[in-house]
Amino acid sequence: MEMFDLIQMVAKVLLVLGVCLGVLPFIIWFERRGASWMQGRVGPNRVGPFGLMQPLADVIKFLSKEEFSPREVNKFYYYLAPIVALIAPICALAVIPFGSKAIIDGKEVILQIAPMDTGIIFILAFAGLEVYPVILAGWASKNKYSVLGALRGSAQIVSYEISMGLALLSMLIVYGTFSPQEMVTWQSGTFLGFLPSWGVFVNPIGAMVFWIAIFAETNRLPFDLPEGESELVAGYHLEYGAMKFALFFMAEYVAMIMASAFISTMFFGGYSLLPGMAEAVNFISNHFGFLETGRQNVKAFFEFISIFTKVSFFMFVFIWVRWTLPRFRFDQLMDLGWKILFPLSLINLVGVTIAVYFLNQ
Amino acid sequence: MSPAIVILSVIAAVLAAYMVIAKSPITSALCLLGVLIMTAAIYGLIGEHLIATIQLVVYAGAIMVLFVFSIMLLNLNNDETDYRKNPLIFFGSIAAGLGLFTLIVLGLKEYFEKHHAQRLLGMFNHETVQKLGGNSKVLAHALFTQFYISFEVISLALLTAVVGAVVLAKRKVD
Repeated sequence: MEMFDLIQMVAKVLLVLGVCLGVLPFIIWFERRGASWMQGRVGPNRVGPFGLMQPLADVIKFLSKEEFSPREVNKFYYYLAPIVALIAPICALAVIPFGSKAIIDGKEVILQIAPMDTGIIFILAFAGLEVYPVILAGWASKNKYSVLGALRGSAQIVSYEISMGLALLSMLIVYGTFSPQEMVTWQSGTFLGFLPSWGVFVNPIGAMVFWIAIFAETNRLPFDLPEGESELVAGYHLEYGAMKFALFFMAEYVAMIMASAFISTMFFGGYSLLPGMAEAVNFISNHFGFLETGRQNVKAFFEFISIFTKVSFFMFVFIWVRWTLPRFRFDQLMDLGWKILFPLSLINLVGVTIAVYFLNQ
Repeated sequence: MSPAIVILSVIAAVLAAYMVIAKSPITSALCLLGVLIMTAAIYGLIGEHLIATIQLVVYAGAIMVLFVFSIMLLNLNNDETDYRKNPLIFFGSIAAGLGLFTLIVLGLKEYFEKHHAQRLLGMFNHETVQKLGGNSKVLAHALFTQFYISFEVISLALLTAVVGAVVLAKRKVD
């Protein structure tokens, strides 16, 4: 492998990891302030301006706490679970494209860590691995509430994976490819003359089912039954303290970032430029007199801003929904998953298949 | 062969051995999961991304979840029988296993040596697959044209199995 390839690969990994872990404190701050804003409270406002330093204080607290594990736990799996919880969503981020390509030193750099033609299945594979930390943590903790939370969690994730997969399948039929880059290229045109041809306009039912299933997959309210504070104390991570709990906490937010990036790529045009950005690219390039290379790099920068904006918006929706809707009961959750979303996504899949068949004639 | 593949194979072999000798069922199941993930990683390293991801989705993401889930649900933790009570059975089974393993290895070795010269390569190599638009396209095309009938028959068989499972489970619940 050439030196250039190695450097650009490491740089891309560092960029994605840095952005995704670097925004975590801000998201956690926003979640707490947003929650208190929606509930008419003040929220954390003592540490730093607007309480912005609160996550930092929390990190110091987590790191300086006593490293403690209950006596009866199965040590190996008990420590393995939070690690797996954080690794799975970070791995899935590897195939999310965050720009078309940049040109550095006369060489093209594809702005995606792992450009492979089976990107979407790769994300699905690692989304499927997210059920293991829940099972492992619940089982290794040797606590009834943890086991109940783990059972709920695994049943929920496995059930909603079906509707998620079917919604995804309907979009795969529309795009005709597994590669995220090609999907984004497909979505860069216009639909019905005025809408951007994003997946959400082409296949709104699929997008809705997918979006609901994502909430269940990431264990967020209104589907946070594996945690369910009022019923199971804290569910599967009840016996975890200090930094081990913090890993679960971070994993939840990384999984949310991954889910937001996934839905932006699948249904909301990915890195394709938002309205007005193409003019901005032209303006900047003309202003500084950039040629082809410089123009492409400016475009890549704006593409990154575009997907960053989309992901931020979906993170906001995650937080918004969490503090708006109450938690479902478990039978309601299963009814919604199996009796409404599953048939709906199946009918949608058949409809989309017929439509695509006749439109491609 | 790159050193990464050697390391992954060694880890996979160790996990596979531990899967057999581990006492608790959940350890065995998770070792099997580790073996499957390592194999997927090896497939990925030799450039077969489709097989690697399918391996992760189907085995690690679906089948092993069911294994671990049912082990946890039935709590098979302390359900091991001590097979070492009778040394004759213990050593006999080890000897039988080793004998069978040697026979398999010898058979495979003979097969490869005999047929190595006249091995026929299929029409798909790396270049043709890349030219035709990637593994997923080639596989999908083959499944829906050449192997259409068998594909449909297998999906029907799966549907029958699902219906059968529901009927069996429902009878127990009622």
